[in-house]
Amino acid sequence: MDTVISVRELTKTYQLGEHKVHALRSISLDVKRGEFVSVIGPSGSGKSTLMHILGCLDQPTSGQYFLDGKDVSRLNDDEVSLVRNEQIGFVFQGFNLLTRTSALENVELPLLYGKSDLSAAERRRRAMEALAAVGLESRWEHHTNQLSGGQQQRVAIARALLNSPSILLADEPTGNLDSRTSLEVMDIFQKLQQERGITIVLITHEMDVAEYGSRIVAFRDGNIVSDTPNDKRRFAGEPELAVIAGEEAP
Amino acid sequence: MSRFAKTWGIAAKALKRNKLQSALTMLGMAVGVATVLAMMALGTGAQRAIQDQVRAAGMNMLIVTAGNYQAQREDPPPDAIEMGRSEAPGSFQRGDDGGSRPVLMEATWSGSPRFRLAYFHPEDDPFAIHDHPTARQRLGDSEAGLGSAATLTIADANEIRKISGVQYVSEGIHENVHVVNAANTRWFTRVHGDDTALPDIRRSWTFLHGRFFSSGEQKKNDQVVVLGAVAAKQLFGDSNPVGETVTLWKQPFRVVGVVGSSSWLSTPEAGDDQFDAVYIPVTTMQHLLNLSKLNDITVTTVSTGDVTRVSKAITTLLRQRHGITASKADDFTVASQASKALTKGSMRPEVAHAVIGNVSGLEKVTLDQLGKSLDRSSRTMTALLVSIATVSLIVGGIGIMNIMLLSVTERTREIGIRRAVGAQEREVLAQFLMESITLSVVGGLAGVAIGVIAAMAIARAAHWSTSVPFVAIALAFGISTAVGIFFGYYPAREASRVPPLASLRYE
Repeated sequence: MDTVISVRELTKTYQLGEHKVHALRSISLDVKRGEFVSVIGPSGSGKSTLMHILGCLDQPTSGQYFLDGKDVSRLNDDEVSLVRNEQIGFVFQGFNLLTRTSALENVELPLLYGKSDLSAAERRRRAMEALAAVGLESRWEHHTNQLSGGQQQRVAIARALLNSPSILLADEPTGNLDSRTSLEVMDIFQKLQQERGITIVLITHEMDVAEYGSRIVAFRDGNIVSDTPNDKRRFAGEPELAVIAGEEAP
Repeated sequence: MSRFAKTWGIAAKALKRNKLQSALTMLGMAVGVATVLAMMALGTGAQRAIQDQVRAAGMNMLIVTAGNYQAQREDPPPDAIEMGRSEAPGSFQRGDDGGSRPVLMEATWSGSPRFRLAYFHPEDDPFAIHDHPTARQRLGDSEAGLGSAATLTIADANEIRKISGVQYVSEGIHENVHVVNAANTRWFTRVHGDDTALPDIRRSWTFLHGRFFSSGEQKKNDQVVVLGAVAAKQLFGDSNPVGETVTLWKQPFRVVGVVGSSSWLSTPEAGDDQFDAVYIPVTTMQHLLNLSKLNDITVTTVSTGDVTRVSKAITTLLRQRHGITASKADDFTVASQASKALTKGSMRPEVAHAVIGNVSGLEKVTLDQLGKSLDRSSRTMTALLVSIATVSLIVGGIGIMNIMLLSVTERTREIGIRRAVGAQEREVLAQFLMESITLSVVGGLAGVAIGVIAAMAIARAAHWSTSVPFVAIALAFGISTAVGIFFGYYPAREASRVPPLASLRYE
């Protein structure tokens, strides 16, 4: 398995007044293709900062970040926008969908930017495909405020998948959902990983959410305190399948 | 192009999401542009109305008359004919001795009030048996009538056309004639030989039927005639005479138009010089009557303040062309409409003559000053309108900028989402710029429509003259686009500077 994310001695320092806040203190981390990494830690541990740097939304103070073998930590804004457009899919806690916009239009948003120059019909076809993948093809013309939280998060996942990104970054994706819809969303993530081999990095502060991942990385005070494969992996699908898969998990 | 279409699609969708806000912003722009346009229309209309009135009053008109008759300076020819002027007591009369020296009569003149002098040239006699003397029998170019020395030619008129500041020039020959229609109905009226420019000079003219004769017809000496409304009514009743044939001097003339007065002040009656008359090309008239000279040349100037200068230029030109040396008097008269009005008005002739004799300079000064001040005031009016327009458009533009800035703050999250899925800075900039341009252009177009309708409504309701110049529409459109770009750029740049990260934290 090749390495998708390779982070070397990454540091991030914020200047808050006279204080220097060390959000990340020389982090090194590798994520292989097809892994489902859960990053866990209390708030202020630096996990969100890592996520922003991994998502090319922020730049590290020092260190290197290789995405698919390319150093993306020192690109200019246009290049970094292109990386976000083509290689990274985001799923946020607050869904971050455009309001008063149909599910379909939200999903096809990434196709309006970057290098892609598809016809409107082709954009629409691909967006419908992505919606079908999360089981929302029948609700394509619903506006975001007409959808439940779980449905909104599924729209966001469909949008994240649209450009077949190298990694899917999920920042507290179940933070605003009740336990039942959380389960649905985690099921989708696990299926994407297992059936389509998509690399997922999930950020959370809840251990039971982190346990859906195949590997758990724990953060504290800007340092990685533990990085272990998840032996007791939980599955959100049917219980029998979950048990069998759990036994087979590495 | 595809990128442009994409950006437009994004911007249009974004505007649609905020329908009310977009509509209100457009309304602001529309009201601004509409106000400007309506004002410009009314202003231009008012300005044009003033100028029309001035021109209709003949303030920009000069009449160059052949001959230079001045009371008590020149002897009129002994066979001079004067028609109908002795009806008013106290007017000029020929003395018994036939000495033909016009005498300014005393107001206490005690002649019989019923005494009438009526010398008619045979041709002018309505009851004459022969109404078409051969060209040789006619006067030809010989001098006839008081002061009407035939000195002006078409070549003179053509030279006058070349003087700067001259707007229209029309040659004129005037005769009396019997007009006969197919049913042999006769009407004795005036015939004017004129240039095609005459309808432009006579601003109160309106064509009831057909048109004026064309320059082609004039060039070919075509026998075409335009009937005055009164003459047309006498000969053809209320039917349309265009295409019919009438006879003048036993020659067939094709009727091409009927001209009437657009003025609601008076309806032309029989005897009206302009509408109880027929018009034929001056060239046709010269050709048929074997003439080479003109009675007069009517000149209008582009600017009312320019009358004096043009009148001097014409005098200089004609003196030179006619070979008049410094010590000799002019063989023509250049008179402005105002001096004509003085003699034609209700003023007693002797008073009028005294006035003309003594205050020709004063008249020119006043006319000149009046014309110049009218020009100045119309310039001031234009400047006023332009400045109001500018202020309105700036206000509209600031409205757009305000809304766009507000929307950048409001839509930080949206911008963040777009940035997160890969929108580049310039794509965000383009979107917001496109939004503001769309708002201002659509608003501006709506404003043009509202403005034109408002101008027409006001014109109809208040009977004001309005005119929406095409330039104003183009200007409103261009300026609203410019406003969209100018006032949209700053908010758009602010939007593009929203960092992708900060916007995601924004809740």
